[in-house]
Amino acid sequence: MSEPITVGSIDDIEEGEAQVVEAEQTGTGEAIAVFHAEDGNFYALDDNCTHETASLGDGWVEGTEVECPVHSAKFCLLSGEALCMPATIAARTHKVEVVDDQVLLYPGMGAAG
Amino acid sequence: MPAQRVIIIGGGLAGFTAARELRTRGFAGELTIIDPQGLPYDRPPLSKQYLLGTYDQEKILLAPESWYQDNAVEVLVAEVTDLDPESGTVTTDSGEQRTADAIVLATGGAARRLPVPGGDLDSVLTLRTREDADILRSRIEAGTRVAIIGAGLIGAEVASSLKSLGAEVTLIDPLDPPLEPAVGPEIARHLHDMHAKHGVRAVTGVSAQIEAEGSVHRIRLQDGQSIEADVVLVGIGIIPETGLAERAGLLVDNGILVDHAQRTSHRRVFAIGDCSRTRNEDGTYQRRAEHWEHAMNTGMTVASVIQEVEAPQHGAPWFWSDRYGVHVEGVGSMSAEGKTVLRQVEGKPSVALRVSEEGLLLGCAVIDDSYSVRAARRIIDRRIPMTVEQLEDPEVPLKKLARQRG
Repeated sequence: MSEPITVGSIDDIEEGEAQVVEAEQTGTGEAIAVFHAEDGNFYALDDNCTHETASLGDGWVEGTEVECPVHSAKFCLLSGEALCMPATIAARTHKVEVVDDQVLLYPGMGAAG
Repeated sequence: MPAQRVIIIGGGLAGFTAARELRTRGFAGELTIIDPQGLPYDRPPLSKQYLLGTYDQEKILLAPESWYQDNAVEVLVAEVTDLDPESGTVTTDSGEQRTADAIVLATGGAARRLPVPGGDLDSVLTLRTREDADILRSRIEAGTRVAIIGAGLIGAEVASSLKSLGAEVTLIDPLDPPLEPAVGPEIARHLHDMHAKHGVRAVTGVSAQIEAEGSVHRIRLQDGQSIEADVVLVGIGIIPETGLAERAGLLVDNGILVDHAQRTSHRRVFAIGDCSRTRNEDGTYQRRAEHWEHAMNTGMTVASVIQEVEAPQHGAPWFWSDRYGVHVEGVGSMSAEGKTVLRQVEGKPSVALRVSEEGLLLGCAVIDDSYSVRAARRIIDRRIPMTVEQLEDPEVPLKKLARQRG
């Protein structure tokens, strides 16, 4: 998957908010949440919490972490690492780039890659 | 020097979190969890998804079996019968002995039985362990008459689950509505009324006696009502498991007494989760906490203390509960001195906020409003002042108020 998806312009996602790209669009079989973190950068994780069914895109973003809206598991937006219970499994990361104020998502390409 | 060998007695959420957080914080020594139930599992699903059969044994494990190998955490399936704090020795029911530099008691609690005639009948069920859930599930068929005594969080959750399995459920509680201290009277009322709307009969009364004749039970209430049931379940809280600590000579008072670093009265021994109770520096005792988050938080704290790194700061206490498809959450205290401000959605209370006279938020309870409770937690923890007018106005998102750094 090298073709990025244009999620929107940087003004479409307020800082501390997220936008979910549905599975039909991502091509990975999973919806992906694209976050505008409080460090000003954009990050993407699989939208579904690794603990139970819940949308991380509906979660609470603080700094560079997101807190699941159902049971408050926290994930690092940069690495996907599960930072506290009840999650023990990392969320999958996806690469995000900002080009000409457009937020580009590379589904299936890890953030570090 | 930090401990080199740690034994954790009890593999519930508190014990598991302690093990996980020790490894996260770089603990490289020997680490053992001892629990007769084997691999640690999560209890909240026992009254919901596990009872319904949508989650199996594997799905409720706190971590898959491979995690224990990957993290070099041994799980010893045994009951600890003796603890000698001075030498750091624990003895199991098979006679095996282990020693450690630090011992963490995470023994949890046992479901409280009803202290009335018949309350001790073997056929009167409780729900605390996976095995309890298996037994309860095995007795339920469509049309089974179930009486649940205690309409708190677990009682209400089980009522909702069993109703969806086709049982005829009667829920008995002395209070109408229950849970007022936890969520405030308005949300408590709304939640309790959901039972009748979903076909569960809610009865107000004090259970005085349980009789069993063959497989049929009769619960007699103090006001003379009587309720017949095939299955009786009691959900009225827990009794902390302190027997081992008492035999070891540790100080106990409705919980193993600990300081804010989870240290018991012996320097080598710690206690966390449901079995522990915090004694403040001035000698006063805190109320013992029985919520999931407290188990996790104290597990994190003890890992930091043992590993001699800075302990995390925990915020206002938080809990959740699920019934009839709605998600209930509470944070802080809804019974603290102050007034309650309500936000309604379609005429139903969705957010209740407890505010002090000085304009500080003390507590928040919500139905299906994740953002508000997470915002409220931050507003409480950061002591962000606000006016009742702001809180009352549904056009002012709590999230926005929380983002004003205090």
